[in-house]
Amino acid sequence: MDDNNAGRSRRKFLEDLSLLAGGAAAGTLVPALPAFAQTKSSASGTVRVWGEPGPYGGVAVDGMNEWAAKFAPGLKFQIESLSWDSVYVKLMTDLAARRPANCISVESPIAMQLMAQGLLEPLDDVVAKVGKNRLIDGAKWEYWGAWKGKQYVLPAHHQPHLLIVRQDIVNELGLGDPDKWDWNDLLKAAQTITEKKKDMAGISLALGRNLCTDYHFAALLHSAGGRMFDPSKQFEVVFDSPATVEALEYVKALLPYMPKGAVGNSFLEVVDSIATGKAAMAFYWGRPYGRVWDENKEIFKNLESYNHARHPKTGNRSNWNDFQGWCIPKANNPYIKEVKAALAYYQTSKVWPVRYCHSLVPNVSPVYKDVAADPALQTHPFYETKKRTINTYYVDSLKHSSSTANELLAGVNPLAGIVHGRAILAQTVQKVVIDNMKPADAAKWGAKELESVRKEHFSLVI
Amino acid sequence: MQKPAHWRSADNRIGLAFIAPFVVAALVFMVYPVLESVRMAFYYIDPLNPDAQRFAGLANFETVLRDPLFWSSMGNAAYWTFTSIVLQTVIGVGLALLLHLPLRGISIFRGLLLFPYIVPTVVIALCWQWMLNPEIGIVNQVLRGAGLIDANIYWLATPDMAMLSTIMLNVWKYTPFVTICVLARLQTVPTELYDAARVDGAGVLRRFTDITLPQLAEVLAVVVVFRTIWTFNKFEEIYLLTRGGPGTSTYNLAIYSFEQSIANLRMGAGAATGVIMMAMLFLGSILYIRLFRFQEDA
Repeated sequence: MDDNNAGRSRRKFLEDLSLLAGGAAAGTLVPALPAFAQTKSSASGTVRVWGEPGPYGGVAVDGMNEWAAKFAPGLKFQIESLSWDSVYVKLMTDLAARRPANCISVESPIAMQLMAQGLLEPLDDVVAKVGKNRLIDGAKWEYWGAWKGKQYVLPAHHQPHLLIVRQDIVNELGLGDPDKWDWNDLLKAAQTITEKKKDMAGISLALGRNLCTDYHFAALLHSAGGRMFDPSKQFEVVFDSPATVEALEYVKALLPYMPKGAVGNSFLEVVDSIATGKAAMAFYWGRPYGRVWDENKEIFKNLESYNHARHPKTGNRSNWNDFQGWCIPKANNPYIKEVKAALAYYQTSKVWPVRYCHSLVPNVSPVYKDVAADPALQTHPFYETKKRTINTYYVDSLKHSSSTANELLAGVNPLAGIVHGRAILAQTVQKVVIDNMKPADAAKWGAKELESVRKEHFSLVI
Repeated sequence: MQKPAHWRSADNRIGLAFIAPFVVAALVFMVYPVLESVRMAFYYIDPLNPDAQRFAGLANFETVLRDPLFWSSMGNAAYWTFTSIVLQTVIGVGLALLLHLPLRGISIFRGLLLFPYIVPTVVIALCWQWMLNPEIGIVNQVLRGAGLIDANIYWLATPDMAMLSTIMLNVWKYTPFVTICVLARLQTVPTELYDAARVDGAGVLRRFTDITLPQLAEVLAVVVVFRTIWTFNKFEEIYLLTRGGPGTSTYNLAIYSFEQSIANLRMGAGAATGVIMMAMLFLGSILYIRLFRFQEDA
């Protein structure tokens, strides 16, 4: 697709979207899904909604405001974006100050920590309204946040990081099919690219002391068959394992083929490295596609994503999938009833969930079957050339899903939020790549820190 | 002439009225937080459940003092403070001597000198982050343009360079404070002293070491004590520039305390760190002032 066609297609898409929105506002286009009685509210004020950076939180809030316009005219929902690396601090300080937002969409490990700490309102009544049987195949409600039989988090999207590659570079250097790579092939590809392409790093991972590093390393750890805690044994720490050592050694082996300064990199720098052509591969969510569409069509044309390279022994291709959803702080929150009604309203609309996904394709994947199957979803211009990649993010990645909040999907782990708050995985990686500590010693250090988390917060997991 | 008693009483009341806002502000924003920090240091406090507090005795201090990161943070803090203060003092005195010269238009430079000191730290830190960006930052561009470096320097991504960068920022921002204080003192040194020294044949260096420096001793003692306290406690510059990284290479005790309180959810341990810092600075200040015999000379 040439640039002009892409531009026309994008304009057409935006025109369609406005028509869609206009129709929705008029209530004439698509009827809501499970119908339920809406009660009016006389509440007034501003409902604060926390969301991560990106347009999708704003789209959901637009949907909630549509509910407010009809049923609670005195209310206005307002989005507040929290940058990833400050989300934990902001959450903790605002909760400590007894001034939380009224509705929160945040990284799943943190949501699960809040859930187990008893800070969230159960949402089973909202799930019943949204439709218990709507969830996409391959996902379970607990992935978003269920604890002791109650659902505390309502799905917003799922969001895996995958192996993003510059297909033109891979093809030019004859590196084979990335979908068939194992760890050795990926390492070899990173090395070849670094050696043969001037001013281009083979692969870009975050290695700074931040959430992104935690998420990148966790995928390698889980692919190697390792984990932090064992939920079947009262969350015993199992981090000090050969799998952890292997994952750390692999990061160390990849380091020479990463951008200089990778040891300080976080989310933004990894996206930058792909968007500016400084790196040929990266572990990342779908966000770079929107960025390169706007900034560099040539890179967009050549960008593809695959499930991660297989671990040579386990065969695992684990990603780090953020099963991100909406949760409602239960204390100091005067708008619980209204937030529940607004969430149910936007989630049972056929328009708003599609618009939500469309706001940043393919970063936020649909979570309900009817939304995933909705022909309107495929009207986005990226489908013209990136259907396989989008499908990998949306569907194929699910069978390789893992997360620190639900390691290898073997059990919800409320300790993960605290682990991320302390950046324990990232610090473990940094012990190796900055301090030159032996991977085995770094694994021991990390295990000790995790044990400290478990000991201090054991009450959360019993 | 002595004022009548009722006048003195009225003066006192007016004086008290003027000083009251400061006393109230100091009680609310300084005394109360300090006392609350001391109290918190003896309790287990989870910030997410602030109402469920338990008495911890000395356990928080034990936690902190057993933590290797506390000691490495203290080492970093000492290095960062010492290096920053030495550079600020040397450069500050040098600049003050230059600005003391009776040159035309010197007052413009004296005014410009305050610029780094008055710009908010968050603005400076963000500017420095961009300036030090290895790929697009102006610092590397200038150094490469001048032929001083071949490859980009990763100012904030390697432990040594990150520490150097934070020190550079601190020195750049706070040297004007030293300069202004020293300049003010220089302007009160009697010129007769220099005239007499010249008559006696003293050269520039001799006049500096035997007249200027002794005259500056008192103000330097005060400046160094204050700058040491403020620099040792510094949080925002390091946090905004490096967040204590890479790794924990630019952690100081203020960042350690913050991380304990917020990231680790150990408010008590964070408060205990603050109490330890306060005790260290209190003792250090007394020792320093005694060494300089500040009170006697004053």
